[in-house]
Amino acid sequence: MNRERAWAALCGLALGAALPARGAPPPDDPGLDPAEQAALAAALQADAATVEDAVHPAPVVVAAGAGSSNPDISLVLDTAGAWFSDAPAQLGGHDPNRTGFVLQQLEMNVVSNVDPFFRFEANIVFAEFGVEVEEAYATSLALPGNLQLRAGQFLTRFGRLNPTHPHAWDFVDQPLVNGKFFGSEGSRGLGAEVSWLSPLPWYAELAGALTNAHNACCARSFYGGDDLGVEDPRDLLATLTLKQFFDLSRTWGLKVGLSTQLGPNPTGQGNRTDIYGADLYLRYRDPGSRGALSLQVEGMVRSRQAPDDRLQDAGGYAQLVWDIDPEWGVGARYEYVSGVEDDPLDPAWATARQRASAQVTWWPSHFSRLRLQGNHDRLPDRDDPLWGAMLALEVVVGAHGAHGY
Amino acid sequence: MRALLLALICGALPLAAHARLEVVATLPDLAALAREVGGDAVAVTALVDPNEDPHYVDPKPSLVLPLNRADLLIVNGLELEVGWLPPLQVAARNGNIQTGADGYFDASSVVDRLNVPGGKVDRAQGDIHPGGNPHFVFDPRAAARIATALGDRMARLDPTHAEQYRANAKALHDRLDDLAERERARFAALPAAQRQVVIYHDSLPYLADWLGLTPVAFVEPRPGIPPTPPHVAKVLQRMKKAEARVILQEAFYPKKTSETLARLAGGRVVVLEGGARFGAGDTYSARITRVAEAIHAALSR
Repeated sequence: MNRERAWAALCGLALGAALPARGAPPPDDPGLDPAEQAALAAALQADAATVEDAVHPAPVVVAAGAGSSNPDISLVLDTAGAWFSDAPAQLGGHDPNRTGFVLQQLEMNVVSNVDPFFRFEANIVFAEFGVEVEEAYATSLALPGNLQLRAGQFLTRFGRLNPTHPHAWDFVDQPLVNGKFFGSEGSRGLGAEVSWLSPLPWYAELAGALTNAHNACCARSFYGGDDLGVEDPRDLLATLTLKQFFDLSRTWGLKVGLSTQLGPNPTGQGNRTDIYGADLYLRYRDPGSRGALSLQVEGMVRSRQAPDDRLQDAGGYAQLVWDIDPEWGVGARYEYVSGVEDDPLDPAWATARQRASAQVTWWPSHFSRLRLQGNHDRLPDRDDPLWGAMLALEVVVGAHGAHGY
Repeated sequence: MRALLLALICGALPLAAHARLEVVATLPDLAALAREVGGDAVAVTALVDPNEDPHYVDPKPSLVLPLNRADLLIVNGLELEVGWLPPLQVAARNGNIQTGADGYFDASSVVDRLNVPGGKVDRAQGDIHPGGNPHFVFDPRAAARIATALGDRMARLDPTHAEQYRANAKALHDRLDDLAERERARFAALPAAQRQVVIYHDSLPYLADWLGLTPVAFVEPRPGIPPTPPHVAKVLQRMKKAEARVILQEAFYPKKTSETLARLAGGRVVVLEGGARFGAGDTYSARITRVAEAIHAALSR
């Protein structure tokens, strides 16, 4: 698809008029005959249509000027216009959550090796309500025994989506299950993590972290907004994960993860919350092309000891994303999260909530993307479905680090 | 059952004192050079497939495993691998190969760089590399210098085989310099007008410099930005005006536009291999000779 059509399709703007129309001679007429022009146009379309050449696994990269000892600093701007058919009920802290315009976030990412032993990384987020140190941590580079240490404030490695930032996500908003179980900002906290790369012949990595169990944004199934202090190691939040990767063939890769999070909740002395999760990422990509197809599925179950009761719920999502060529990608996602009668955290969430989403993405370059997403949301406490539409623009400037698989 | 499991795990444990120097190179061309320099004293792994665009590599977790074991990591540098290598390097938990360590070898540090932007780098210019154009493996003169530096680095990491590394490196350096000079002279025998080419992505300035080719146009309007109809029309006009007949591109770029341009201008497309077929025992000299041969044949038709 050519650039003019891209604008027309996505924005519905009359920009086509400003660009040379097809068939008409461009401003500096190269003097080609119509047959030559038609042949070139057809060839361009054929190239754009091949799954050959293209995908941006995520908007990428370029590091700081050679010879500079400054950290790599980048800024990611996520801004959107949204419409909802009724009062919005988005759960993610960076989701478009009103009809009108939204600053999802302005993220400043700072990365640098500290010395031969540590690497530093920080994500500082500027939002409509202020500034927040979302992550700031040091990672060891050369511990013996295949061990690695991480300390500071970080997103825990529970599941597949949680450890990543909005601009590595394929959809504009956060999955419902992450918002309900972890909080608007996902599962993160101050603490320390030890991970170990096993000597098995395939990739298998174990990680265990201890973080503070309080914070309304990021540990809502645990102490949440109530800081009840730490009298015992069991008053901290423990996260354990096992991640494995299998090269199924030259083109197919499979990553699977098992996660659990165990910690105290504020409903009474010794009351605990357990969350268990499993995730799967199946990706097809021919190394000779840049197109890719990926299936991502994540599910979790939660069990909370409340004063007189044990509350159990579950949720998850499945998404299929097709990166067609360097400029275009599409995706679909389905989510299901069960409810609990008289849930003290979510009193209105008595039965299951389901949401279906579809998105189209256009990348003008590796450093910008425009996404149009539609949501169909079935809420437990509403009779009519909630419809939503978002047009989100993301731009990345500066030396932005690479993303994981 | 338990014994079987234990045997499996132990069998997989890397040998504590491996005899050979473990070398990991990002590009297959660099891996091929490392194997010639290291000979049987090294075990070499390439992370990138010869057909793969080295700007866009999936950072598969399985790539962490060779990096975890590596004594020496060879990178192209100039930010060619910046989109995928750094997280793998961190995940490798291997102090030997972190940036700046003795086991980290940046090939770009020993070559003469081309297209180093003067002044401010602005991404409105496209995806350009602030340190200079990174695609120097297309020039055997650069490869010769890399071979020599690799010999020194391997000698430092593994002194018991120092003589062997330096001798192999010297021999390879001389072979590559001879090859470079021979091909350069062969191309110089063609009239200058016949040495004009169109290039798909601005990835071949080193090749053009070595073989005395003159690029008259690029199919991409700016590096990394896909071609547009008005730009391609201009490319065709320039091809016709300059009577350039040959379009050069690497295998991982789309081919229809180039093929159509070639047809309309009465020329042909030469698709260059992305790198040595390292896994199949290919050598750098053999691969770069094939590249020169294919271009020479197309230019002299």
